[in-house]
Amino acid sequence: MPVIDINLYKLFQQIIKRNLSSDAWDWLEKKINLVKTEERSMQLNLSFSQLSRLTGRNIVELNSNEVIEINLSMSGLELNNWTIDRLCRVWLLMQVPAGDKENYLKKINGLFATAEMNEQVALYSALPIYCYPEEWIARCEEGIRSNIGIVLEAIMYHNPYPAKFLSTPSWNQLVLKAFFTEKEVDKIYGLYERINPALSETLMDYIQERLAAHRTVAPEIYQLTQQMNPQI
Amino acid sequence: MCCNENFEERNKGEKIQTTLDLNDISGMKFFDPHVHMTSRTTDDYQAMADAGIVALIEPAFWLGQPRTGVDSFTDYYSSLIGWERFRSSQFGIKHYCTIGLNSREANNEKLAEQVMEILPQFIFKEGVVGIGEIGFDDQTAAEEKYYRLQLDLALEAGLPVQIHTPHRDKKKGTQRSMDIAIEQGLAPYMVIVDHNNEETVKEVLDRGFWAAFTIYPFTKMGNERMVEVVKQYGSERIMINSAADWGISDPLAIPKTAALMKRSGISLADIELVTYRNAITAFAQSGQINEDDFTTIKNIDQSQKFASNSILRGGQQPRVDKNSIIIS
Repeated sequence: MPVIDINLYKLFQQIIKRNLSSDAWDWLEKKINLVKTEERSMQLNLSFSQLSRLTGRNIVELNSNEVIEINLSMSGLELNNWTIDRLCRVWLLMQVPAGDKENYLKKINGLFATAEMNEQVALYSALPIYCYPEEWIARCEEGIRSNIGIVLEAIMYHNPYPAKFLSTPSWNQLVLKAFFTEKEVDKIYGLYERINPALSETLMDYIQERLAAHRTVAPEIYQLTQQMNPQI
Repeated sequence: MCCNENFEERNKGEKIQTTLDLNDISGMKFFDPHVHMTSRTTDDYQAMADAGIVALIEPAFWLGQPRTGVDSFTDYYSSLIGWERFRSSQFGIKHYCTIGLNSREANNEKLAEQVMEILPQFIFKEGVVGIGEIGFDDQTAAEEKYYRLQLDLALEAGLPVQIHTPHRDKKKGTQRSMDIAIEQGLAPYMVIVDHNNEETVKEVLDRGFWAAFTIYPFTKMGNERMVEVVKQYGSERIMINSAADWGISDPLAIPKTAALMKRSGISLADIELVTYRNAITAFAQSGQINEDDFTTIKNIDQSQKFASNSILRGGQQPRVDKNSIIIS
């Protein structure tokens, strides 16, 4: 029976409760009880979409203890600038019954299939908390192909899943895509740890291409290639 | 197939409003062999016709986000040979397309299998001038698999191939695309390698392929760089396109670049090859391009406009005064 991280679950609960109005909290609790007990996906689909109407989209307020505790529970995870609807959606996803693997995958994949942008952000932010983690690799790879900036950022920024589960070629795509779309690459968990010869070589070609086009080169690209080839 | 997220470059600098002066190239004809018109407005069609674009090729690509079922592909391919072609004709522009499974969506193997089954229904439709745009994006195993299968299809059908080369890891991706095309038995002269830059052009030309360049703000080639490329490599087997799509792109990239080339002292003969003739030579290997059609479509539309025919009867779109606040 797959289990969720109980520390993280409780932490999220505590943060959400403090950041929500009591009405919104009551609504969420009630919906979660329905989601936990249903066999099909109706309540999940309804509440996952409707949620933001109740919670609003304010930035979540965290105290310094919570920041530390989140990182202790899951190395690499940070909730900087998360909106409350995003956190509530992730918390809701933590409570989808996972005993029946096939049904669990069907429920979550069903949400992905019809998600609007903010829902996609939540679904990809939840990659490190889903059960059966190896089942989400293809989904993560597809997310990296997205052209939607906030969706990419949900995968790239302070998300420990890609560094832990992606193959080297997929990881390299994530890093390249981050440079191509001018992301804040220092927020990528595992950036310097997962540098590898193939990525370094491609980045060196990229430097040549940028220079040939009279364009600037991001300093992190030099840092990464130098880490791989200290003699340069 | 493009994306445009280089905000920093895009947003820097003053915003100055000027009017476009294309007098230098007035009377010239252009052919845009890569432009995604389904993503563009009627204003764009009008501006393209005004600037001298007489014909274009719309490669099949992705829609900015992944499709989830095969019927979406069927409808999309049908629209390229149906509604979009009609829309283009209303502005006197001859519309062709290439049909294929794009590299990004090749990664959804379950769907890709289904798409491969419907492709044969479309490739011999009138005005389909090649298989495209196909090739690599992330350079995954699935992308390679469907790239090879579509090259086989092109070989069997005797159609040219329009290759999308990847944005990331471009140099190796371009080399690999050419290696595989040769391995599958394609003649380089039947293959148009698209989205070249200064780093890839030499090898593409040396190996006998066509080298296409996309003039696309910020993410691909600027046209000043393009002028330098033509000065260095000449005009043989080189063509330019706009690849205009749903990103910040420019459907007038070809006429603008022609004007810049003229100002930069490139001969009219070379400009004609790069902005018109070479694309026709390459894609006419499909047997689907007849230049007389360019004139016919213009004349038919004009006569219909003079006879005040309605849109429903195939007439040309009435011109709208963009500077009037009255919409009538």
